[in-house]
Amino acid sequence: MRIRPFEYYAAKNLEDAVRVLDQEGSGARLLAGGTDLVLSMKKKGALPSCIVDINHLRELEFVRRDDDVIRIGALVRHADLARDPLLFETLPALSEAAGLIGSWQIRNVGTLGGNLCNASPAADSAPPLLALDAHLVLSGPAGEREVALSDFFTGPGGTVLGRGEILREIVVRVPEGRSAGCYRKLRRRKAVDVSLAGVAFQAELDRAGRKLERVAVALGGVAPTPIRVPEAEALLAGVQAEEAREALTECVGIAVTAMRPITDVRASAGYRRSIVEAYLQNCVQSVLDALFGTSGARS
Amino acid sequence: MSMRLRFTVNGEKHDLETQGNRTLLDVLRTDLGLTGTKKGCGMGKCGACTVLLGGRPVHSCLILAPQVNGAEVTTIEGLGGEEPHPLQRAFVERGAVQCGYCTPGMILTAKALLDENPSPTEPEIKAAIAGNLCRCTGYNKIVEAIRSCAAPSG
Repeated sequence: MRIRPFEYYAAKNLEDAVRVLDQEGSGARLLAGGTDLVLSMKKKGALPSCIVDINHLRELEFVRRDDDVIRIGALVRHADLARDPLLFETLPALSEAAGLIGSWQIRNVGTLGGNLCNASPAADSAPPLLALDAHLVLSGPAGEREVALSDFFTGPGGTVLGRGEILREIVVRVPEGRSAGCYRKLRRRKAVDVSLAGVAFQAELDRAGRKLERVAVALGGVAPTPIRVPEAEALLAGVQAEEAREALTECVGIAVTAMRPITDVRASAGYRRSIVEAYLQNCVQSVLDALFGTSGARS
Repeated sequence: MSMRLRFTVNGEKHDLETQGNRTLLDVLRTDLGLTGTKKGCGMGKCGACTVLLGGRPVHSCLILAPQVNGAEVTTIEGLGGEEPHPLQRAFVERGAVQCGYCTPGMILTAKALLDENPSPTEPEIKAAIAGNLCRCTGYNKIVEAIRSCAAPSG
């Protein structure tokens, strides 16, 4: 599995990387951790004439709280996300998802930005971030712009990134009230494997601590891009514990009908549906338990 | 495309001429003759090529040579001196080596785990080595060998 020769350029900083990417055009690819790109170059899926390396740019490796948002640099490694105490505390679904990506070896190298920009429909970091209404800051030749993650993916492997544009950071609003989030994924092997389907559920309690708000259901690996399911969310928004538990089955049912799963060598569409059904049920249950306590739980 | 690569392997500085399209694994095995690092799948799935990059386990088959410029790499040759490293000794004594192909990667992952967490639980050990496949399926003895090197938990 030889890799075709290419021009290699180590970017001095982000602006430098943008400049060279823009100059080189479609033959150039940005290299972060490389866990997807190098593999694709080996399989001759990607045949770049030029590699612009930003892997060493430490200024893009940060997690910090900035008033009511958390900013995550695009080059933060999955392993660092998974063990970051701030994320563990405030955005547990993202933390969980990061810890489930690939193997330890992959998590030490692969980056959050790379996971998103590679735009796999099954990218593990996408559902929790979609559920959190994350925004992305892109740097490009014309300056900076911000896009919602929900507008970022255009299809398998496709994003709205323009020529010379680079994902710089991921911005997530810190939940105001009590919140809980959960991510579950299915894979054939217990570890390492890509996800066949990923389910994220996120919700907050209103000020009085009685009603659910900002309810979010996000699914990965079940449609050409990771998706939100607003119809399922609407059923749970503004309701109290008892009602939420009663609406659970219907909510899950709606989410399953929103899926456009494929049948491939990994799993059939029907199996993906059953899995999402079970996992979403499980996720919602654990979030409701976390928010309302398990006392009112029914089997 | 030829390039200059400067990095440290097992404490020794190297300055060599190589190609940008070579992987860290190629550089270690072919350019430096450190054949203790094994090539398995070449796709980041089997873990045979595991080395430590700045102390953390990585797949050397998925890292391009230029990515390690200025970095510190530890291979299996860097463990132990006159005497084998405690993990190496434990693997031998407990029969955790069968065909031996996964052993260098397995031991390096175990070393990184113990450096980070000196008294891991069995599930933590299993989670750490999830990316290292043993085709002989000798996992019980591997986990046992790693456990025997753990500090008694307080």
